[in-house]
Amino acid sequence: MAMLLPTEHIEQSSRVPREIEVPASTAWPLVLALGFTLMFAGLLTSASVSVLGAVLAIAGCVGWFREVFPHEHEEIVQVVPEDLSVTTERRLVERLPVAPEQVRAWLPLETYPISAGVKGGLAGSVAMAVLACLYGLLKTGSIWYPINLLAAVVYAPSEVPSAAELNSFHGGIFLIAVLLHLVTSTLVGLLYGAMLPMFAHRPIVLGGLIGPVLWSGLLYSIMGILNPTLGSHIDWVWFVASQVAFGVVAGIVVMRQSRVPTRENVPFALRAGIEAPGVMPPRENGEKRP
Amino acid sequence: MSSDAMAIHQGTDVGSRPWVETLHGWVTTVDHKRLGILYILYALLFLAVAGSEAMIIRIQLMYPHNSFVSPQVFNRIFTMHGTTMVFFVGIPVLFGLANYLVPLMIGARDMAFPRLNAFSFWLTALGGFLLYFSFLGGSGLYGAGNAPDVGWWAYAPLTSRAFSPGHSSDYWTISLLVAGFGSIGTAINIIATILCMRCPGMKLSRMPLLVWLNLVVSGMVLIAITPLSAAQIMLCVDRYLGGHFFDTQAGGSAALWMHFFWIFGHPEVYILILPAFAVLSEVIPVFSRKPMFGYPVMVGATIAIGFISMSVWAHHMFSIGMSSYGNAFFVLTTMAIAVPTGIKIFNWLGTMWGGRIIFKTPMLFCIGFLFNFLIAGLTGIMLGSAAFNWQLTGSYFVVAHFHYTLSGSFLFGIFAAFYYWHPKITGRMLGERLGKLHFWLFFIGFHVCFDLMHIPGLLGMARRIYTYEPGRGWDTLNLLISIGAFIQGIATLIFVANLIISYFKGAKAGNDPWDAWTLEWSVSSPPPAYNFASIPTVASRRPLWDLKHPEDPDSRYE
Repeated sequence: MAMLLPTEHIEQSSRVPREIEVPASTAWPLVLALGFTLMFAGLLTSASVSVLGAVLAIAGCVGWFREVFPHEHEEIVQVVPEDLSVTTERRLVERLPVAPEQVRAWLPLETYPISAGVKGGLAGSVAMAVLACLYGLLKTGSIWYPINLLAAVVYAPSEVPSAAELNSFHGGIFLIAVLLHLVTSTLVGLLYGAMLPMFAHRPIVLGGLIGPVLWSGLLYSIMGILNPTLGSHIDWVWFVASQVAFGVVAGIVVMRQSRVPTRENVPFALRAGIEAPGVMPPRENGEKRP
Repeated sequence: MSSDAMAIHQGTDVGSRPWVETLHGWVTTVDHKRLGILYILYALLFLAVAGSEAMIIRIQLMYPHNSFVSPQVFNRIFTMHGTTMVFFVGIPVLFGLANYLVPLMIGARDMAFPRLNAFSFWLTALGGFLLYFSFLGGSGLYGAGNAPDVGWWAYAPLTSRAFSPGHSSDYWTISLLVAGFGSIGTAINIIATILCMRCPGMKLSRMPLLVWLNLVVSGMVLIAITPLSAAQIMLCVDRYLGGHFFDTQAGGSAALWMHFFWIFGHPEVYILILPAFAVLSEVIPVFSRKPMFGYPVMVGATIAIGFISMSVWAHHMFSIGMSSYGNAFFVLTTMAIAVPTGIKIFNWLGTMWGGRIIFKTPMLFCIGFLFNFLIAGLTGIMLGSAAFNWQLTGSYFVVAHFHYTLSGSFLFGIFAAFYYWHPKITGRMLGERLGKLHFWLFFIGFHVCFDLMHIPGLLGMARRIYTYEPGRGWDTLNLLISIGAFIQGIATLIFVANLIISYFKGAKAGNDPWDAWTLEWSVSSPPPAYNFASIPTVASRRPLWDLKHPEDPDSRYE
């Protein structure tokens, strides 16, 4: 940090110069700006104004050029000794009682690994699928109904499947639905895992309540664009219930994983797994890091 | 030392200088601090002008069938009010603060290009004066009026020769073109300064958030101003050379102007609001006595806002009849930008949470900002939905929304900055009692004015309306809105009085009156011409904390 030295030390310090060069004041930028403006103002007033502006602009350019070539004009300012001290009257540092054993703590101290979120997402996908199939059975007597609706995202908006088509099995459509479901569940699980440090102690609240509310709200607003067929057939109560089932199961799976210390305070090189010597800069006190 | 260098003495008693010499010193200065002050004074001058225009608008709309000004004058006044506030108050004040603070905060002695800095300031200043010269020189041809009267968007075909004879629209175009070149110059300068002139140890990850936000804002200025400048040149071609870029009857497109304008116009909103975010990110930690919560996330959110703000412009154009895919895209991007913005609000609250909050005037304005900006964001999300927008576009609801953003948020942030850095700039404290009076009057006036303004908008009152019929349910509301505007005017006068009184009689500030942590507070108030006698070296985001608490420096943990 800057050494803000008291008056008597300034004379002694070789780091504090007696005088400092700063760029010299000049009117040429103003002349050029005025000329430039007048050149344009001539379009609004008279050609003679533009001519005057052009003359000023040329003079400004030449003057500016000579201001910096061959040597930049500078002024020498004498350093004024100042008795400045950087101190505080608030010497006492109060600490929030969240990690009393540590002077500074990156919160949370421990969290679940991101892979726990992915596992939770995959487990949640099973719970969601079971609930969706149950809904299909109760509503239409067919477990294929929600599966076909999910896969309808690949249909053109004009191709509206009939009720019979929605209730019957189609191999290709089934594969598309499974793929969509697994990919989306994995990605949502990944996002869940990344967000876990925010609710490190309450993964079920995040997964079973906050997540479903946000996700359902998002899908509610874009379902008509994303999947018009599903949008026109959807039962939002069941839909939200399946989201909650996904989140609760994912949360339970996450809670069964072991926590790991957060590594936010660890340098990026270490987090990235780079172990080559010399990658880590030395500590402030000059001590070499491993 | 250069052979062309000449010596001046810092200790010279400037009070004994002839005023002409003092004036000469200011006019020819290339010092970033003086140029920063010039930018700020220039913005304050135009704030007074644009504020007066707002008062005229509110007097006119106070009662039904009022004729305080003629319809022609009313059109000019709202055009000049909007144009002035955006281009000659907002941009200069943000560049003024950036000019003054960025070099001090990164431990530099000046901007990267001091002469370009002066050139850019004078271009901006002369652009504003040229715009207002239209009141005198813009009479043009037969009854064409004088000042521009086409609104601050200047939509085609209003700007065509057929609807805007004479030179009033040309004054708008050319003055903004000139000022735009100034903005581009300053933006380049700020970027170069931040990237190239940081002191030893000031890594990007240690830069104060104000510096980070100004880096992003300057990048946005480069991207956003250029399409506007291009459009203005095209408009000049249309008006002077018979071009047809925006002439719909000759194969041109009025929507093309809209796209050009709003591809500038919406990022411009973020260009204005991000510096207010920057102020909050410096003031809130100091007055909460806690470090910034989530610094890396704040930087990431800023960059995200910078990117996303470039993709939301057509939410101003839902009503022109875009395709459903176009509407959906701009709805989604508009919703998306709420995410990084919301992150910022949570992080400011996270910084305050558990802190020992000191309710000084800068902090009051920051808290007011948080309250106002949340509501501005919510109405922004409402208007970002195409279906909702179709109902209320062009109404006073929209006027209320963007005044919540620019007055309730931007101005609150700027006032916080004035109270916070005024001691550094002048060496004197602003009066706390007058400051609090300013805050509360402005806060109350703001809410009386702009909370109520949503309602006539919902009731169908169109923006830019000259007058209205009685009995539509708008009468009392408009009266109250005008009263709210006057209260804000009185509050602003108190602020001006505070500035004047403190300049002569304010308490001496010392170098660090707020017990703050960034580098500018390590030098005297006002700082010397060279800023730092020796270039500092930093080891953390809070270098002054490290000095004040050597037993527990941040540098040990970053």
